[in-house]
Amino acid sequence: MTVTIGLVSDAPVLVLGLGNLLLLDDAAGLRLLEDLSRDSKYAEEDVEFVDGGTQGLALLGYLNDRKAIIILDAVGLGAAPGTVHLLDSDEVAALGGRRATTSHEGNALELLATARLFWEDPPRITLVGIEPGQIATGIGLTPAVEAAIPQALAMARKVLAEMVQAYVPCHTR
Amino acid sequence: MSTRVVVDPVTRIEGHLRVEAMLNGSNVIENAMSSGTMWRGLEVILKGRDPREAWAFCERICGVCTTVHALASVRSVENALGITVPKNADLIRNIMFLTQMVQDHVVHFYHLHALDWVDIVSALKADPVATSALAQKVSPHWGLASEGYYRDTAATIKKFVDSGQLGIFQNAYWGHPAYKLPPEANLMAVAHYLEALKWQKEVVKIHTVFGGKNPHPNYIVGGMASAINLEGDGVINIERLNLVGSLINQAADIIENLYIPDLLAIASFYPEWTKYGGGLGNYLVYGDIPQNGISDVSKFRFPRGAILNKNLNEVLPVDPADLGQIQEEIAHSWYKYPGGQTGLHPWEGVTEANYTGPQAPYKQLDENAAYSWLKAPRWKGNAMEVGPLSRMLVGYASGKTEFKEVVGAALGKLKVGPEALFSTLGRTAARGLEAQLCVHWLKQEFDNLIANLKAGDTNTANTVNWKPETWKAESKGLGFTEAPRGALCHWIHIKDQKIENYQIVVPSTWNASPRDSKGQHGAYESALIGTPMADPKRPVEILRTIHSFDPCLACASHVIGPDGERLAEVIVR
Repeated sequence: MTVTIGLVSDAPVLVLGLGNLLLLDDAAGLRLLEDLSRDSKYAEEDVEFVDGGTQGLALLGYLNDRKAIIILDAVGLGAAPGTVHLLDSDEVAALGGRRATTSHEGNALELLATARLFWEDPPRITLVGIEPGQIATGIGLTPAVEAAIPQALAMARKVLAEMVQAYVPCHTR
Repeated sequence: MSTRVVVDPVTRIEGHLRVEAMLNGSNVIENAMSSGTMWRGLEVILKGRDPREAWAFCERICGVCTTVHALASVRSVENALGITVPKNADLIRNIMFLTQMVQDHVVHFYHLHALDWVDIVSALKADPVATSALAQKVSPHWGLASEGYYRDTAATIKKFVDSGQLGIFQNAYWGHPAYKLPPEANLMAVAHYLEALKWQKEVVKIHTVFGGKNPHPNYIVGGMASAINLEGDGVINIERLNLVGSLINQAADIIENLYIPDLLAIASFYPEWTKYGGGLGNYLVYGDIPQNGISDVSKFRFPRGAILNKNLNEVLPVDPADLGQIQEEIAHSWYKYPGGQTGLHPWEGVTEANYTGPQAPYKQLDENAAYSWLKAPRWKGNAMEVGPLSRMLVGYASGKTEFKEVVGAALGKLKVGPEALFSTLGRTAARGLEAQLCVHWLKQEFDNLIANLKAGDTNTANTVNWKPETWKAESKGLGFTEAPRGALCHWIHIKDQKIENYQIVVPSTWNASPRDSKGQHGAYESALIGTPMADPKRPVEILRTIHSFDPCLACASHVIGPDGERLAEVIVR
């Protein structure tokens, strides 16, 4: 029942930024997405960048048929604000199992848990996130999170390069 | 002795909601409180900005409905500046609106609400042969119903349950005696849950076609940003329109052959839920889906109007621009008004926080004090319910044939009268019937668009008055729509080319509202009263009624983290 005419790219690597632009540090993932996509040297058919906002199941379609997915988001693990987190597929899955399905939430975790129902060959998933300082109405990042952007960005770039190396066919690279 | 059940957070909703229910000695709910526990105040962000950009910020408010806030926002600016949009823009907006409605209602039924009625764990005990027979009886026009299909579905669920990562299936009260479906009906419902999940990710491509991108499609003050050229490349062309046509047909298939049969089948096991959860009996609808421009209210597919005290013999006129009709009260909300007023019309509205609640974590809130971050909107002093049930009732009471037909058919199948609609089950059924109407209208709006394009009209935007130099020094406007969860309105005040004030009253502010200055309950609170609970420690009855409203405490934040939260607590005193 799948119909696509280039509306959703089938690039093997997906970079998915998540967060609410209007809630200060909640937007950390969107900021990383913006910076990462701006200087991307990869072709559209190899790497797709998606601003998922705070959408939940509506993003399910974007997770289909990928070899690898990088999720960029604010990640609250109780560390100091601005701490950069790097989690692999298993670590992300473990978070999902322990958590209530509220929606201030791990919409993303619920999304991934749901996607697992459909994946026959699960993609590699890496989460690059920043510990938020403040989640409150407003636009912009707090200083500690702002200061962590270069480190998180470097990490995301490195992961992306590895994913492209591993999953994008040579003829298009 | 009285018992207080605290559910915080209410799960499987968007946003953060806390409910406290006070039970009598027989475990019947005799009083209730609904509290939005997170401060938002997004209106503050919009002050001083260019009104033409407001929609892009508004689109970020909600975790589900990006399009409806964008639509209400551009309509408010057009209303303030006196801009009339071209016919194609209304048609495309209607198509996007109806797509959102259809997608959202299916997702709500299967993914947020069904688990209140369907026991996933019981589905594992089902016999695939008997399930196949049941499915062919319930949904005769749905292709996937073989024994092998149900064997595979059962295996998928088992694998999922065995993995220990229940994800979307966790935090329900599996095995609770209030679950009445036999294992086979549960398995069928879970299989259809998975089918609906697969479908919903396809249908949103309609937004991508017309909005240029998704999940945050483009709108524009004056019309739509969609460039149309039937013969062209890289714009909206005949190939893309054909895709939309086929997606609409799939949507009709899902709703007619899966959603409605499942809804009626599940409802037939829970007849007692036509007696509980009715609540206020007051219903408010702004109306939407214009057929002759947004200013001709008489030509809306969803008629405007209000019903008081369940009186279906009278539909009262509504005017959201009337300063005396809609007011937001704050007697029980954590806000203050500078003049000390009890209520203000949104054009005069003020968003100034004044938290006087207890320090978190707290055991309980005080219903005699302020207890919510939501204001209490009132229509002519009345607490009102908004949403699918309100829309179906106002359509029905207005004598509209289409509404009478779908409502009459469903009531006939369930062998109940119209009074059954004033209930939790009535609210859930109304959403399905509305989806049925909407997918039918979606086809018609799409056909109208194609006809208009073929007649040579490809104009999608009116750019007169785009430049701020052409604007009056000061103007006010409002933009309303009927979001999936109910009446939504944005009120804007423009001064010296900038936003001077912006107030949004979202559907869940009506429904989840706290008490007002007269002590009148909000819709959720009122709907909970009178419901008996089988086991207060596992409050599935509270979830059924609250979920029947499809709560959305707008504007989810999105931090990923492992803080396992307490879901229900019972205090006996």
